Amino acid sequence: MVNQDKLREIAKEVISREDVRQLIGYRPGTYGFRARPAFVTSPEETDELIFTPACVNNLATYITLEERLPVPRGQEPDTRKVAVMVKGCDSRALVQQMEEKAYERDHIVVLGIPCTGVVDMDKVEARFPNVLEKGEISLEGDKFLLTVDGKKEEVPKEELLADKCKRCRYPTPLVFDQLLDEEVARFADDDYSDVTELEKRSTEEKWAYWEKKFSRCIRCYSCRNVCPMCYCEDCVLDRLQPQWMRRSVDVSENTAFHIARAYHLAGRCIQCGECQRVCPVEIPLMELNRKFYKDVEELYDYEPGTKVEAEPLLATFKVDDREDFIL
Amino acid sequence: MAEKNSDFDPNIVAFLCNWCSYAGADLAGTSRIQYPPNVRVIRVMCSGRVNPLFVMNALQQGADGVLISGCHPGDCHYMQGNYYARRRFNLMRNFLEYLGVEPERVRMSWVSASEGAKWKEVIEEVTEGVRSVGPMDSFKRRQLNW
Amino acid sequence: MAVKKLSKDKVADALKELSKFRLIAPAKSDEVVVFSEITDPEEVCLDYGNSTVPPKKVVFPQTETLFRFVVGNPELEEKNVEEEGTTVIFGLRPCDARAMAIVDKLFSWDYEDPYYLKRRQLTTVVGMACVEPPSMNCFCTSVGGSPFGKEGLDLLLTDMGDYFAVQALTEKGEKLQETLSSHLEEAPADDEKKVEEMEAASKGKIKRSIDTQGIPEKLPGLWDNELWKKVSASCLGCGICTFLCPTCHCFDIQDEVESGEGRRARMWDSCMFSEYTVHASGHNPRPTRRERTRNRISHKYSYYPKRFEVIACVGCGRCINLCPVNIDILDILSQVVDA
Repeated sequence: MVNQDKLREIAKEVISREDVRQLIGYRPGTYGFRARPAFVTSPEETDELIFTPACVNNLATYITLEERLPVPRGQEPDTRKVAVMVKGCDSRALVQQMEEKAYERDHIVVLGIPCTGVVDMDKVEARFPNVLEKGEISLEGDKFLLTVDGKKEEVPKEELLADKCKRCRYPTPLVFDQLLDEEVARFADDDYSDVTELEKRSTEEKWAYWEKKFSRCIRCYSCRNVCPMCYCEDCVLDRLQPQWMRRSVDVSENTAFHIARAYHLAGRCIQCGECQRVCPVEIPLMELNRKFYKDVEELYDYEPGTKVEAEPLLATFKVDDREDFIL
Repeated sequence: MAEKNSDFDPNIVAFLCNWCSYAGADLAGTSRIQYPPNVRVIRVMCSGRVNPLFVMNALQQGADGVLISGCHPGDCHYMQGNYYARRRFNLMRNFLEYLGVEPERVRMSWVSASEGAKWKEVIEEVTEGVRSVGPMDSFKRRQLNW
Repeated sequence: MAVKKLSKDKVADALKELSKFRLIAPAKSDEVVVFSEITDPEEVCLDYGNSTVPPKKVVFPQTETLFRFVVGNPELEEKNVEEEGTTVIFGLRPCDARAMAIVDKLFSWDYEDPYYLKRRQLTTVVGMACVEPPSMNCFCTSVGGSPFGKEGLDLLLTDMGDYFAVQALTEKGEKLQETLSSHLEEAPADDEKKVEEMEAASKGKIKRSIDTQGIPEKLPGLWDNELWKKVSASCLGCGICTFLCPTCHCFDIQDEVESGEGRRARMWDSCMFSEYTVHASGHNPRPTRRERTRNRISHKYSYYPKRFEVIACVGCGRCINLCPVNIDILDILSQVVDA
């Protein structure tokens, strides 16, 4: 596990640099075992930074989420860098953002954290309900150690690990300026079994499954806002001229919303799983995005967020691309 | 399935590229080739102009099927438009199938300006395919809910 | 009115009786508890903490038609809310009912919203007291509520073990109790006192609190304070806090036209969305999440109390539980108090 003191020391060094405007990391949450994002602008604030298996957020989304207001006359825009702490999966978001030229490499300072997996907070809160006091989660070998109010409990890692971590291919960040810990070798792989299981169902079963999920959607747009790849200033899902999906909330518009969003992530989704984590009504969004992910890998041998120099999937083609579906 | 087929007249929207497919369809017309009247044509300059979300939108508005037709690979008037379209629609079709939209509803074809006869075959196949899966229902906009 | 008793083995029959109205009660969609229209009483799940989406959607639907029109025809077909018929919301928590009473003030203020008010008139609200606080983040007692609160409710049910104690609180409640009279019995004489004791016990179990004294007056003075930038830094600008809040009530109105006919519809909107205050010119007076967060907190804890003398927050804790980045309203308020 990452040495917390070393992490803070490095963070202090980075934020003290003249060319760094802010550092985005994690700090303890406001209750229970939660952790939350920290936005540090001075060396003193680095004392509260942590990295534990509770740090589930993908901080890469904040690089593109930042609102840039027009600069008043006579002032120069602030071109200083933003430092960000990323796990393996999060770093792929940075890679993909740079692949798409969202910003230049020298805009960010990347503090990479090789990760052995984070918890699924729902599983933690189901296992330890009603914990209000601030608690800590740490990793001891193959067990999570949960400490709260002086009491400790060990839980086998498997039981609390987030599902996405069980199929993680890139635990060590793919882009970094500094690594805050030893590299972690790949410990899992992805067989897309959740997608193939759904693919086997009949047409009626598939639609029945998705209709149930989409009719729960309340169009809070949390999935889109948390996604590091959804950073269009004029999002297709919001547009009124033309209006692709109406603002009314019903199965038809909700389905259109999810089709459009998933399609816009084809060849771009880097599998951080945040969309599914944040959905308040538990729509299995990763099952949607992973269908594209699997198809993109099988049809076009492409994995988003792995090489900054790669060409975006749908901006390229091969002359011998599959066309067995074409009349 | 039987009731789906009987009196159902599919409503199919087709996006045809101006240089090849539209011309090919026009040739079928001038050659007086008879083919099912179920397809409504929207002319676009290139199959690469077709946004996959048009497919979603058409189905949402009540189209029973969507056809995108362009130039053969290598013959695109704009060099590469149809290559991009090929990737897009492969992905979109697979995804819609995953959601429970029959693949017979989303079709793509290469029809060149001289292939009036092929156009007839494409229309026949697409129409029969859509007829066999019945009217589009799943995420169609429902006027009645108003 | 005297407390009645509804045995747990009679609940299914009582619900069947209520299904002759439009019955809305908590039911499960996969693992998510949703207030749904009930056709089969077996679907009802009363053993739940609180629903994700509050029952405000029953009287203030997420999407509703205001009127229909046909292009070329100057006559409009107004939505007749009466057609929805008498509605019973069964089993909601006192905070959600109190929220309706709070929002009532706005919808009957300078413009009496006919759709909302008609629905409120047609709806009888049957509450389920919180014998235990449903969530560790509940703080209803800090904002004037209670786990056994009666405000906004027509009937209150309290789980006494193998039966529910039923208390009618309003005329509507009495009428509904009449409808259910064949399923009800007399409750033990000391039930009323027992319920009071249970209320005190439940209040004692609420762990989170904030002293709201002075906050409404203090907020306007903090307009330029640094704290807004800090608390909004991690905000994603989604609509979770607003859509899941039982007192939030902002809406957008859009016209939807297709093939010569259309409708004007109203749907929920969120002050946290970036386009919420975008003007036709493109200017946005609340351009960043800092302004929008400041607005949301100020609206709930300052503007609304100034006008209606009640804080527009019932302490249900949904925003705390479900905010993806753990932005915590109690954390913000304690920073306001300290500022």
